[in-house]
Amino acid sequence: MATISAAPAPGMQQIDLSKLNLHQLAQLKQQLDQELNVFQDSLQTLKIAQGKFVESGESVEKITPQTKGKTVLVPLTGSMYVPGTIIDTDNVIIDIGTGYYAQKDIDGGKDYFKRKVEFVTEQMEKIQALAVEKSKAREAICMMLEMKLQAQSQAQKPSTS
Amino acid sequence: MTEEIQKKLQKELEIFNGVQKEYHKAMAQKQQLDSQLNENKAVKEELMLLKKDAEVYKLIGPVLIKQDLEEARQNVAKRMEYINKEMKRTDDHISALENKQEALQENLNKLKNDLGKMKIKA
Repeated sequence: MATISAAPAPGMQQIDLSKLNLHQLAQLKQQLDQELNVFQDSLQTLKIAQGKFVESGESVEKITPQTKGKTVLVPLTGSMYVPGTIIDTDNVIIDIGTGYYAQKDIDGGKDYFKRKVEFVTEQMEKIQALAVEKSKAREAICMMLEMKLQAQSQAQKPSTS
Repeated sequence: MTEEIQKKLQKELEIFNGVQKEYHKAMAQKQQLDSQLNENKAVKEELMLLKKDAEVYKLIGPVLIKQDLEEARQNVAKRMEYINKEMKRTDDHISALENKQEALQENLNKLKNDLGKMKIKA
C-alpha cells in the first residue's frame, strides 16, 4: 500500500472516487453517514418546531371578538387548571425568542406564525436538498467500494497489495 | 532506543488526544454561539417589525416585565455584538488548535516511522 499521500480528501466535491483506496472510501462513507444522520435529526427538530407554530397559529384563529367574556381553563401546571375569562380578544403576547415577548394584535399574531412556518419550511427544504445530494454521493461511494472489493477478490490472492 | 521512542510516542499521543478533545469542545462552543446568534437575529428582526407603541415584555424568572421597545432593540443588538466577538475568539481558537493538531500529527507520523525503521533494523 503506497498511499499515505495528501490528506484523505476531507473537503468538498470533485474527488475522483476511483483514485481512493478502500480505507479512504470507507472513511468517506462513514463521514457521509454521520452527516446524513445530522440532517435527519435536524429535520426531525424542525418538523416539531413547525408543528408548534402551526398549532399556535390555529389557536390565534380561535380568538375572535365573539370569544370575549367566554370562560377558559387556564393551566397553572400541567395538571391543574383554574377558570378564567377572556377579556382582551384583540391582542396576544407572543414569545419571540431569547426571553422576549411582544404584544401583537390578532392579525399580527397570525402573520407572525405564518411567517415562522414559512421560515421553518424553507429551512427544511434546504436541508432536504442537501441530504439528497449527500445520499447520492454516498451511493456513488458504495458502488465504488463494491467495485474495488470485487476487483480485489478477483485479483490473484497471493499478491497482497 | 526503541523504548525511548515508544515512550515519546506515547507522550505525544497523549498531547494529541488532549488537543483533539479541546478542538471538539471549541467546535461545540462555536455551534452553540451560532445558534444563539441566529436566535438573536430572529428576535431583532421581529423587534424591528413591531410598531413603535407595541408592548414588549422580557421574561425574568417566572414573570414578564414590561420593557421599552427601544431598550429591547438596543439590548439585542448589544448581545449580538457580544456573541459576534465571542465567535471570532472561538474561531481563532479553533484555527490555532487546527495548526497545533497538524504539527502534532506530523510529529507523530515521524515518530512512528522512526519506530518502524528501528524494528526493521532490530
